Amino acid sequence: MSNHPSLKAGERAFNVLLLLLSLGVLYEAYRITGFDLPNSAGAFPLMLGAIMIASMVAILWGQRRHTGPGTQGALDEARHFFSEHFPLAIIVFSAMAIGYLFLLTFLGFISATAIFLFVSQVYLRRGHLLTSSIVTAVATGIIYALFKLLFQVYLP
Amino acid sequence: MADSVSYFLMAWLDPSLLMLTAIGTLAGIYVGAIPGLSVTMATSILISFTFSWDVNDALALIVGIYTGGVYGGSRTAILLNIPGAPSSVATSFDGYPLAQKGEAGQAIGLSTVMSVIGGLIGVAVLASVAPYLSDMALQFAPRDYFLIAVLGLLLVGSLATESLSRGIFAAALGAVIGLVGLDQVTATPRFTMGSMQLMGGIHYVVVMIGMFGVAEAFFQLHQLNAKPVRQKVDKIVPSLHLVLKFLPLSIRTSVIGVIVGALPGTGGDIASLFAYDHAKRSIKKPSRPFGTGAYEGLVAPETANNAAVGGAYVPMLTLGMPGDAVTAIIIGALVIHGLNPGPMLMIEAPHIFWFTVGNLVLANIFLLIFGLTGIKVFAKVVELPKAILIPLILVLCVVGSYSLNSSMTEVYWMLGFGLLGYFMKIFRFQMGPVILGVILGPLMDKTYRQAMSSVGDDTGSFLLSLVTNPLSLVLTIAVVLLLLSNTPLKRVLLRHRQT
Repeated sequence: MSNHPSLKAGERAFNVLLLLLSLGVLYEAYRITGFDLPNSAGAFPLMLGAIMIASMVAILWGQRRHTGPGTQGALDEARHFFSEHFPLAIIVFSAMAIGYLFLLTFLGFISATAIFLFVSQVYLRRGHLLTSSIVTAVATGIIYALFKLLFQVYLP
Repeated sequence: MADSVSYFLMAWLDPSLLMLTAIGTLAGIYVGAIPGLSVTMATSILISFTFSWDVNDALALIVGIYTGGVYGGSRTAILLNIPGAPSSVATSFDGYPLAQKGEAGQAIGLSTVMSVIGGLIGVAVLASVAPYLSDMALQFAPRDYFLIAVLGLLLVGSLATESLSRGIFAAALGAVIGLVGLDQVTATPRFTMGSMQLMGGIHYVVVMIGMFGVAEAFFQLHQLNAKPVRQKVDKIVPSLHLVLKFLPLSIRTSVIGVIVGALPGTGGDIASLFAYDHAKRSIKKPSRPFGTGAYEGLVAPETANNAAVGGAYVPMLTLGMPGDAVTAIIIGALVIHGLNPGPMLMIEAPHIFWFTVGNLVLANIFLLIFGLTGIKVFAKVVELPKAILIPLILVLCVVGSYSLNSSMTEVYWMLGFGLLGYFMKIFRFQMGPVILGVILGPLMDKTYRQAMSSVGDDTGSFLLSLVTNPLSLVLTIAVVLLLLSNTPLKRVLLRHRQT
C-alpha cells in the first residue's frame, strides 16, 4: 500500500493542462520582446512563465508516486471525474447561469433575474413553488432598489 | 496633531459615515457567518458598486464589513461547527464542544468581547507603528519593494497551501493575469494575443468576483443537502470575571495576530491557527482539555484573527503591500479613488490613514453592540438554505462585474475565472495567492524594472545589490530561508540533527 495520498479523478490531467498553459505563457512572454534587455517589457513575464513551468514540473514530479484514483482506463477516470465534480446539480445550474446571461440581453435585468431566481430555486429545492415565488419577488425587488436606486449602478 | 484627531473623529461625527460603518459591521457579521459567503467575496463585489461613491463612504462600509466579517465566522463555528470564514476554523475546535455542553451563549459572548479587545489592540499597533514604518519605507529602494512582494507571495504560498509549489504557481498565474494589457512604460502589448479587448487589461475585480464568488457558489452546490443544525442560545453577555481571567492570554494572542497579520500575504486565518497553537503550548492547566470546550481555545483564535485586521492594514497603508486578500481588494479601492497606497499616502493623504484608524475603532465598538444583541434573529438567518443563497450569490456576481464597465464582456470573463477557480479549488490550489499575484504582479514588474535600470541593466550588479544593502540583505536572506524551508533540504537537516 502506498504512503502517498491518492490523486483525485482528473487531477493529473488538470496539472498537465496547467503545465501546457505555463508553456503557453512562456511562449507569449517571449513574443513580447524576446530575450531583450533585462528591464524590457517582456523580462518579468518571461520570469513568471519560467516560474510557472518550474512549479508545475515540481508538482507533477511530487505526484509521480501517488496512487491513481482507482479507476480503470481514461474513460473510467473521465466518468469518475464528472460524477465527482460535476454532479447533475452543477451541470443544470451552470446551464441556468448561461441561460440567465442570454436572457439578460433579451429581457433586461428584472425579468431575467426573476426567471433565473425562480427556476433555479425550484430546481435546487425540488419544489417549494410558493416560497420560491416570494423569495424571488422580494430578492429581485431588493436587488433592484439597492443597486439601481441607492448605489446608482448600471444594471444589465 | 489637531488634524489627526479631526480625521480620526471624522466617521464618528458624520451621521452618514457613522451609519455606513454600522451597516457595514452588521452586514459583515452576517456575511462572515453565513457559510458560503465570505468577506473577500463581499468586499470584491462591493468595490464594483462603490466606484462612484466618495472615498470615505466606500472605506467606511468596507472597514465595517471587514471587521464584522472576520468576527462573524466565529458564530457559526460555535453554533453549527461550520466556520463561516477560514479565520474561524480554529474557533470551532473548542467553540462547538462548548455549544454541545449548553454553553453556546457564554461562548458567543466571550468571543465577541475578545474579538473587540483583539481588534482594538490591532488598531493601536496600526496607529503607533504605521507612521514610523511609513517614514522608514521612504528610504526603501525599488529592489526592497520587489523583495517584500516576493516574500509576501512566498509566505502566502507556503502557509496557505499544502505545498509551496502550488502556492508559487497560483501567485505567478495571478501575476500574469495582472500583467495582461499594455505595458505602462513602453505601451507594448503583453499577453493580449492580438485581442483589442485585452489591451486595457483584465479588471482585477472581475478575477476576484469570479474566483471567490462564482467558484465558491459552485463549490457550495456539493453541500446542497446539508441539514441545518439548530442551537438554543439565550444569555450571551459574559461576566467581567470571565473577561478579566482571559485578558492576559488575549493580549498575548493579539500580539501574535498583529504580527502575523502584518506579514504581507498572510491574514486572520493563519494568525488564528498560530494563536491556538500558542495557547495549547503555553497553558498548562486549561479550563478543560483543548478540543473539548476549553475557553482558552476559543479566546486565542478570536482575539488573534481580529487583531490581524489592524495588522493587515500596516503593510497596506505604509508599503502598498496587502496584508491579506481583503486588504488586496482595499488597495484596489484606494487606487480607483485616485489614492496611492504606500509610503507617500501618509504625505499625500494623511486624512485617509487617520480616518481608517478612527473608523476601525468605531467598527469595533459597533461589533461589541451588534455582537451581544440580536442573537435570535441571527440564528434564523444562518439557517437560510443554500438553494436560496447560491442563485442570489450568482446574481450579485453578475451585477458586480457588469457594473465595472457596463459591459457583458466583464460578466463572461467573471464566469470564466469562476470556472477556472472551481477547477483549481477542486484540485487544492488556493485562490488567495492568485488574487495577491494579480495585485502584486504589476507592482513587482515596475519595481524590478526600476531596480534593474538603477544598476544599468546589469544582472550581476542587480544580484550584488541584493546582498550589499543591509535591508535588501535581510529580505534576501528571508526569501532564501523561506524557499529552503520548503525543500527536501530542511528534512535532510532535521534528520541529521536527530541522529
